[in-house]
Parts: sequence; C-alpha cells; structure tokens
Amino acid sequence: MKRRAVYLFAGALALGLPTAVFAGLDLGSLISTIKQAVTPADLQQEEDIGAAAAATLLGASKPITNAAVQDYVNKVGLWVALQSDRPDLPWHFAVVDSDDIDAFAAPGGYVFLTRGLLLHMHNEAELAGVLGHEITHVVLKHHLKELQRAARLELVSQGAQAGLAEKGYNSNLDQQAFDKISNATRNLYATGLDKDDEFDADRAGVVLAARAGYDPYGLLAVLQTLQGVDPKSGKMQLLLATHPAPADRIAALSAAMEAGHMDKYGNQAEGQERFIDVVKQLVPAKPAPAAASK
Amino acid sequence: MRRPLFIGALLLLVLGVVQASSGGTMAQTVTTAKMNDGPHSDAKAIGSVPVNTSLTIIERHGGWYHVRLADGQTGWLPMTNLRLNYGNARGSSSGSSSSGFFSLFESGRSGAAGTTATTGVRGLNTGDISNAKPDPQAVTELNQWAAKPPEARQFADQLPAKAVKVDYLPKVKP
Repeated sequence: MKRRAVYLFAGALALGLPTAVFAGLDLGSLISTIKQAVTPADLQQEEDIGAAAAATLLGASKPITNAAVQDYVNKVGLWVALQSDRPDLPWHFAVVDSDDIDAFAAPGGYVFLTRGLLLHMHNEAELAGVLGHEITHVVLKHHLKELQRAARLELVSQGAQAGLAEKGYNSNLDQQAFDKISNATRNLYATGLDKDDEFDADRAGVVLAARAGYDPYGLLAVLQTLQGVDPKSGKMQLLLATHPAPADRIAALSAAMEAGHMDKYGNQAEGQERFIDVVKQLVPAKPAPAAASK
Repeated sequence: MRRPLFIGALLLLVLGVVQASSGGTMAQTVTTAKMNDGPHSDAKAIGSVPVNTSLTIIERHGGWYHVRLADGQTGWLPMTNLRLNYGNARGSSSGSSSSGFFSLFESGRSGAAGTTATTGVRGLNTGDISNAKPDPQAVTELNQWAAKPPEARQFADQLPAKAVKVDYLPKVKP
C-alpha cells in the first residue's frame, strides 16, 4: 500500500499536479481532525460562544418576522448542513432585516443572511451555495478559533453558577465571559476572517451544495451578481470590508471547480419555482406612480 | 418521438421571447468566447464572440449563460467568460435594465413583508457591527424556525434534490 502511494505521488509530481491536488486534500484531513477533537465540553463551549456571538450579530440586525421565509431557509440550510462533516450541530438559519448584502456564520451552527442578499438570488441552488459557504465556516471553526483567541476563553465555563442562565439567558457563560465574546465578535465581524478561510469556504460550500443535489454553480452565480453591484452603492460596504473582492473569489472558485470537474453536476436541481414562490413575499408592492414621482 | 421535441423547442422559444421582452441582464465578455448551441462543453459550436462584446443574459443553466447578442443571435457561453456590468446585476438596484421579478423589490426598497419598515433602506455596515448591542432573546427565538432532519430530507425529496457523493475541491491557482 505504502509503495503504491509513493508511486502515485511520484506520478503526480511527474504530471505537475502536486500543489493543486495535495493542497486540496488538506481540507478533508483538517475536517477529520476536527471531528475527532470535539468533546462534549468543547461542544458546550462552542455553543455558548456561538450564542453570544449570534446575540451580538442579531443586535445589529434583527431576524425578519416572515415565518414562511425563515422556515424555507431553515429547511434548505439544514439539508445542506446534513451533507457536511458536522450534521449533528443545532443548526439555526435566519434572514435578517437589512437591505445591504451580506451573510454571516457563528460558532455552534448559526447562519444569517440579509434580506438584501436573498433578494439578489434567483433560485434555491444559489441559496444553497451561499449557505454552504457559511456552513463551512462553522464546520471548520473559523470564527470559533478567532473568538477563543481574542477573548482568551480558557476560563469561559467557570462562571456557570453565577451565569446568565439565572437571568433567563440560554447560556452557561457569566456576564464577564459573555461581554468578552461580544467584544471579540464586534471586532472580528467588522474586520473579517483570514482571506484563505473565505476561499476555503467558497470551495467547500460549492461541494456541500452539490452533495445536497443542487446545481453547484449557484455560489459562483451569486458572486457574479455581486460583481455587478456597484461598490459605490454602499450595499456591500461590510461584505467588501470583510471578504476578498468578488473578482478574486470568482477566479479562485472557477479554477477549482474546473479542476474538480463540477460540470458533471451542472444538471442538478435549481429550485427556481419554489424559491420565487417563497421569496416574493419579501418584495413590497410597487409604489403608486404618483408617489414614486414625488 | 419527433413531436415532443418539437413542442419542447417551441416552448423554449416562447419562454425565450417572454424572457427577452422582460429585459435582461447586461454583461460583457472578458475573453474571446466560444458559443455553443447548448449548456455543455460537447454541444455544437456555433460561433465565437470577441472579447469586450456587450450582450444580454437570458438565463443560466449550470456553468453556462444563455445569451443574446446585439444582432439577435443566441447561444450559450461559459459563465466565467462574462462579467456583469455595474448596475446591471441580475436583480440589482441601480440599473435601468435590471431584470424581471427582482427589480420589483428595488423600486419599493423599504418595508419587505414581515417588517414594518417605512423609513427607507435598512443598512448593515461595519459601524453597525462595531456598535451592536447583544440581543440574546433574538437567539432564543430562532428555535421557532429551526428545521428537523426528517423535515429537511422530505423538503429536498419534493424538489427533488438527491444527495450525491462529491469530493472536496482542490485549491488551484487561478
């Protein structure tokens, strides 16, 4: 077996493939390492940190109250998350009340996207691709690691007895730990992750959407749509401040998709009809012509 | 055998006309693009579109856009051979030619269903994040919408979206 692996590696070297192929394998091995490393205490801490981060994000933008849209996004989101390496997390998805364009993930299985982003999509496959990107941030613990580092959270579980649970919060954190995480969240989500984390989330997000049976080009299509939104409109200020430029993401993602022969899955489900049926509920009636012309 | 094909072609044609009449998304080629008569690489080649050609996107299928050139010719181009123009994003706000259903939203802007917004656009910028006041109650309330795995599976079945095995993608230099 070992010898065969050596031959394969030598063969790959000869073909000039190694950096591409072996860099790609890192993601898979990283994921299996993460799966093994999770203990119940780790998981509890992740969920507590995630709840504090999510509370902070939802403080900036509340969930919309349209239950049909929220139910829809949760069903699509969970279906995509079930294809990931952490299907058993308590996944929560929500559309938040902003016309700007962005999406967020928080540790423990929280995924939020703005109404503005949802209304720039055209079908369920595009939604699945975006949710796949955010789910990957959770699966690979991108935010968790940054928040733990920033808030020095070794002590996070200690204050459980004087914790926020007594005040009715669903949390094992004490107020001090909660505040630390909240501060770290404000900093991290205003500046963004390492750019490589975003590129990794794009590649893996596409794979999760494809595994879920969707047309895998949805995320790429959304990125192209964003490329067509004028940055001066201000609608993508936060997204552009925290992510690589859409053009760079498109270039990296399309190269990876071509190398991975994702065109094989190009005929998978698009889900345009039911996407429009649900999301059109967020489209307000056109103002009367008189009102529109002031 | 022939007739269903013919009807299918007619239907496509009608759909195409409907799409065309509702405008479309303007884009430009970023490279010389080979135009095919279908959305796959082994479809018949029907021409070549020079770089920087303006055209209209009719629809997308997988990694391909169905496009119309200024002279009326239609065909399929690989999606990454195109760049959408500013203000012409599919569903974008600022373009006069933004397409179809989503332009409705942009003309109304404020007050989507489920909100009481009457004061215009709700933003979310770095300042809003930096000054966010935590809302733990909102997190608890997310439970009301959470899906259970059987529900998610059933919903996927209805589409149908069937789970398939797909390996993670390699990281490659663009």
